[in-house]
Amino acid sequence: MALGGGYFKTTYASDLALVDTRLRRVALAALVAALLVLPRLTSSFVLDLAAQVALAAIGALALNVLTGLAGQISLGHAGFICAGAFTTAALVEYGVRSPWAALAGAAAVGAALGLMVGIPSLRLRGLYLALGTLAMHHVVLYVASELQSRWGANTGYSIPPPRVGALTLRGTVTWYYVLTGLAALTLCFAANLQRSRAGRAWMAIRDREIAAASVGIDVARYKVLAFVCSSMVTSVAGALFAFQRGFVSVEAFGFLVTVEYIAMIIIGGLGSALGAVLGAAFVTLLPYVIDALVAGLKLQAGAEYYLFPAKFGAFGLLMALFLVFEPQGLVGIWRRVRNWFLLWPFRYRPLRSTS
Amino acid sequence: MRRIRLGTLAVVLVTLAVPLSSSGQDAYRIGMSAAITGRAATGYAPTYEAYKAYFKRINDAGGINGRKVEIDYEDDRGEPQRAAAAAKKLAESSVLIVNASISATYKPLMTETEAAKVPLLFGGGVCPREAFPPANPLIFCSTSFGSKWDIIYALDFMKAQAGGRKARLGLVAQDIPLARIELENAEKLSKEMGFDTIPLVIVPSAAADYTPFAQKLKDDGAEWVFAWSPWPVEIGVFEALNRLGWKGSYLLYGHQPTQDELARLKTPNLYAFGGNSLFTENLPVHQEITSVVKGQTQHPAHYMAEGWVSAMVLEAALRKCGWPCTREKLAQAMAGVSVDTKGLRGGPIEWTADNHYRKSTWYKVYHWDAGRNAIAAVGGWTKLDIK
Amino acid sequence: MAQVLATTLVVASLYALLAAGYVLVYRASRVLNLAQGDMLTLGGYLLFAVAANVGGGPVLAIPVAAALAALTGFLIYLVLMRPMAGHPVFAAVLVTVTLGILLRAAIVLVFTDQIRHPAQLLGLGNPPRRLPGGAVVSTFDVLTVLTAAALFAGLFLFLRLSPLGIQMRAAGERALLASQRGIDFHRLFALAWALAALSGALAGILYSSNVRLEPSLDVLGLKAFAVALVGGLDSLGGVIPAAILVALIEVLTVRYGNPLLSDVSPFLCLLAMLLVRPWGLFGTREELERV
Repeated sequence: MALGGGYFKTTYASDLALVDTRLRRVALAALVAALLVLPRLTSSFVLDLAAQVALAAIGALALNVLTGLAGQISLGHAGFICAGAFTTAALVEYGVRSPWAALAGAAAVGAALGLMVGIPSLRLRGLYLALGTLAMHHVVLYVASELQSRWGANTGYSIPPPRVGALTLRGTVTWYYVLTGLAALTLCFAANLQRSRAGRAWMAIRDREIAAASVGIDVARYKVLAFVCSSMVTSVAGALFAFQRGFVSVEAFGFLVTVEYIAMIIIGGLGSALGAVLGAAFVTLLPYVIDALVAGLKLQAGAEYYLFPAKFGAFGLLMALFLVFEPQGLVGIWRRVRNWFLLWPFRYRPLRSTS
Repeated sequence: MRRIRLGTLAVVLVTLAVPLSSSGQDAYRIGMSAAITGRAATGYAPTYEAYKAYFKRINDAGGINGRKVEIDYEDDRGEPQRAAAAAKKLAESSVLIVNASISATYKPLMTETEAAKVPLLFGGGVCPREAFPPANPLIFCSTSFGSKWDIIYALDFMKAQAGGRKARLGLVAQDIPLARIELENAEKLSKEMGFDTIPLVIVPSAAADYTPFAQKLKDDGAEWVFAWSPWPVEIGVFEALNRLGWKGSYLLYGHQPTQDELARLKTPNLYAFGGNSLFTENLPVHQEITSVVKGQTQHPAHYMAEGWVSAMVLEAALRKCGWPCTREKLAQAMAGVSVDTKGLRGGPIEWTADNHYRKSTWYKVYHWDAGRNAIAAVGGWTKLDIK
Repeated sequence: MAQVLATTLVVASLYALLAAGYVLVYRASRVLNLAQGDMLTLGGYLLFAVAANVGGGPVLAIPVAAALAALTGFLIYLVLMRPMAGHPVFAAVLVTVTLGILLRAAIVLVFTDQIRHPAQLLGLGNPPRRLPGGAVVSTFDVLTVLTAAALFAGLFLFLRLSPLGIQMRAAGERALLASQRGIDFHRLFALAWALAALSGALAGILYSSNVRLEPSLDVLGLKAFAVALVGGLDSLGGVIPAAILVALIEVLTVRYGNPLLSDVSPFLCLLAMLLVRPWGLFGTREELERV
C-alpha cells in the first residue's frame, strides 16, 4: 500500500486492524451510512439491483478465495450455487422450512461437493482441474434436473419466504438489508482469510507450489481446504438465492453463470477481495447501465429491434475491452486513483517507504 | 490516457443515477418482458414485433378511448434473474405486464406480479396452470398452446386416425421439465385411452444427431409418434425417422416455422396441430396482418399470429377498462372479456372469473397434401371445452 | 448394429472437426478457445449469407464461406488475442468467451434468430443413402465423415511435412526458443486460429446443411471440448479415437440405456479420463507438470 511519508504503525493493534487510518474509518462510516439510507432515496428496481450485486459479491468472494488466492481454477461455480439452491428446495419439499437448517444443509452439501472436487485437484493442475470442475457442474445440473422433474415443478420450484424468529423475510427492502449485511460479513471473512495462515499458505501454493512444499506447507491439505471453504460459501449463496427469489429452476444455473463469476473476479482484479466486490458490481450492473445509456439516446422506431442484440453485443465487447486493456482489473484502477490522492503532490512513492 | 479511462467510468456511473424518463401520464402503460435475444428468442421475438406493429397502428389511429398505448419492452433473454429484475422495473409504472418468454421465467415473474398486484398476461409462451380453472385472479393467458389440453386433443386425434385399433404410440419430449412432465402424463393418459404406448423418449437439447432416438422409436415399432416440445427437437426426430425409412405418422405441435417446414419437407406423414390457422389459408385477417407488418418486422408475417391474437385480447381489455384504468379495474375487465379472433383461432377467446385460459379452445391439424401439392388441413376446427 | 456404427462415425466426425480447432489453438498458444462452438455457428451463417447474396451454387458458396471463416479466425487473433499475449492464460480464455458473446450478438443482429436452411437456398437436397449392413445415413452425413477425414489428413501432412507446419509445432512446444531461431510465432498463432476457425466453420457448414441453422448451435462446442480433452488437448492424433469413443458411448447410451444420460455421457467420459489418465489418451504427460 502506498502511504505518504510520515505515517507509521506504532502498536500491534493498529498493525492488525483492517481499517487503520482515520480517513479510512470516516470513509467506511460514510459508506455504511449511505448503504443504510439507500432504500429511502431510490426505487425498488435499483434496490433489487443492489441486492443482486450483494449476492453476486458473496459468490465472487468465494470464487476469489479459490482462484485468486489459492490459484485453483474452477469452472463449476454454477454447480455449487445450484447445489445450495436445490438443497434448500429439497428441505422445503420434505417439510423443513427453517432458514438456519437450509443454510446449514447447503453448507454441508457444498462442503461435500468441494471435497469431491478437491481431492482430484491433488493430481490435476490448471486446465485439467478446471475441466474436472466442469464435469462436476454438468453432473450436479443433471441431478437437479431429475429432482425438479420428480417434484413435478415444470416451471420451477417455489420456496416460501423464510422466517427468522418473528420476522418473515420478504420484500425488496428487507432482502436488500439482509444480503448487503451478509455480503459485508463475507467481505470481512475473505479479507481476514487473506491475512491468515491459510491465506498465506494458499498464496504460496499459487505462486510456487514446489517452493511452498519445500517450506513445509501441507499442499494437499490446503488445496482441499480451499475447495471446501469456497464451495461452502458458494452453496450458502445458492441457498440465499433460492430464498430471495422464492424459486429454483435448473435453467437458472447454466454455464453462463460460471462465466459471469469468473469474469467478475478477473475484471475486478484477481486475488483481491475488494476486486471481487467491484467485479461483481460491474458485471451485474453493466447490462442495466447499457440499457440506461441506450434509453437516453432515444433512437428512432425502426432501429428498436436491433437494439437488443446490440446491447448484448456491447456487454461482450465491454468485457473484452476491459480484459485486454486493464489487466489489473478494477482494483488496479482503484489503486491508481487512491495512490494519486494519497501521494499528491508527489507522483511516486519515496524510495524508503514503510509499506 | 488513464484520465480518459477514468472519465469514461465516471460518466457511465453518473448516467446510472439518472432516472429513466417516463413520458405522459396520459397513456395506458403496459410492460412486456420477452426473450427478444438469447437462446429462446426463436419463438418469442416475433411476439414482441407483433405487439409493436399492432399498437403502432392503434396509436396512429388515435389510441384507445382517446389515449395512446405505451409499451415498455424489456429483454429478459430467457434468464430468470433478468425476468425478475424486469418485472420489478415494469411493475413500478405499468398497469399490466405481458410475458413472452420461456417457462423458466414464469415463477420469478409471477412472484413479482403477485407482490405488486399487477395483472400478468402470458402472450407467447405455454400457458401456466394458474390460468386454467380455478384461475389465479391476476394471471391470464392468450397463447394457443396449453399443455394439458394439447395432449388431450392430440391423443384424441391420433386415436381417431388409427380407426379404433390399438395403435403403438411413441412419445418424444425434450429434456426440459415442462415437456417431460406433460409427456409423462400423456404416457399415462394414452394407456388409459387404449394405446399401446412405448416408454417416453427424452431428447437432450444439445443432441448432435437425432438418429439414435429415432432408431429407438423405429425399432420399438411405433406406428404413431407424438412430439410436444420446442420446434428443433420435434422436427429433428421426425427428419431422422424419415431418413431411416420409417413409414408411420408423426404428430407434433406446430410452432411458428410450421408453414415453411411443411413446404420444405413435403412429407404427407407429418401432421402439425395447433391453435392458430396457417397463413396459407389466406383469410382476410392474414392479409391484414401481412400488409400491416410489411417493412416493420424482421420476422416474416406468418410468425406474427400468436402475438397478434394476444395484442387483440389486450386491446379489447383496455377498451373495456375505459379511462382511468387501474390495475384492479383492468383485472376485472379482463375476467369478462370476449374477443373475436377473426379466423386466426378456431373461435373467440372468452374469459370468465374462474377461467383465464378460455371457455373453449380449438385445434386444427395441417399436413402436406401430395395430391394437391400444397399444405392442407385435415378436417376443420375441433372444439375442446375447458372445465 | 450397423446403424449404431454408422451414426457413431457421423457424430464422431462432427466432434472431431470441432475438437481439431481446440487442439490447434491450444497446441500453438496454450489458450483454450471456448468460442469454438461459435465458429460452427459462424460457418453456417457465412454459408447462408454467401448463398443468399452471391449465388453461384454450392461449388462457389462453400469454399467462399470456408475462406471467409478462416479470414475471420485470422482477424480474431490479430485484434483480440494478440494483445492478450502477456496476460495470464485464464484471462485469455475469458476473452474467448466474450468473443463468443460478441459473435452470437452479431449473428442475431444481422440474421435474426429464425431457423434457416442454407442447403435449401443452394438447391441441395439431402437424400438418404443406404449403407451395407442396413444402415441409413443422409448425404451430408457421408460428406461430414469425408470432410473430417480430408481435414485430418491435410492437417497431418501440413504439420509433419511442410516447413510452416514444422515451425508451428516448434512454436507450440517452446515459443521462446522458436522465436530465437527467427520464427515469427505471432504469424503462426494467427495461422493456427485461422485453421481452427476453418475446421469449426466446416463443421458448421455441414451441420447446417444437414440439420438446421440457428444461433444457439454453439452448445455442440462444449461436447467437442470434452472430446478434445479425452484425446489429449495437445494431440491432434488423439482427437480421432477420442471422438469415436465418446460418440460410441453417447449412441449406445441412447439406444440401450437411458436417453437422458446421453447428454452427460461426454462429461462422464471426461471424469473417468481425469481420474485414470488426466493428460488424455495421447496427450504428452509433461503437460500436467508444466501448467
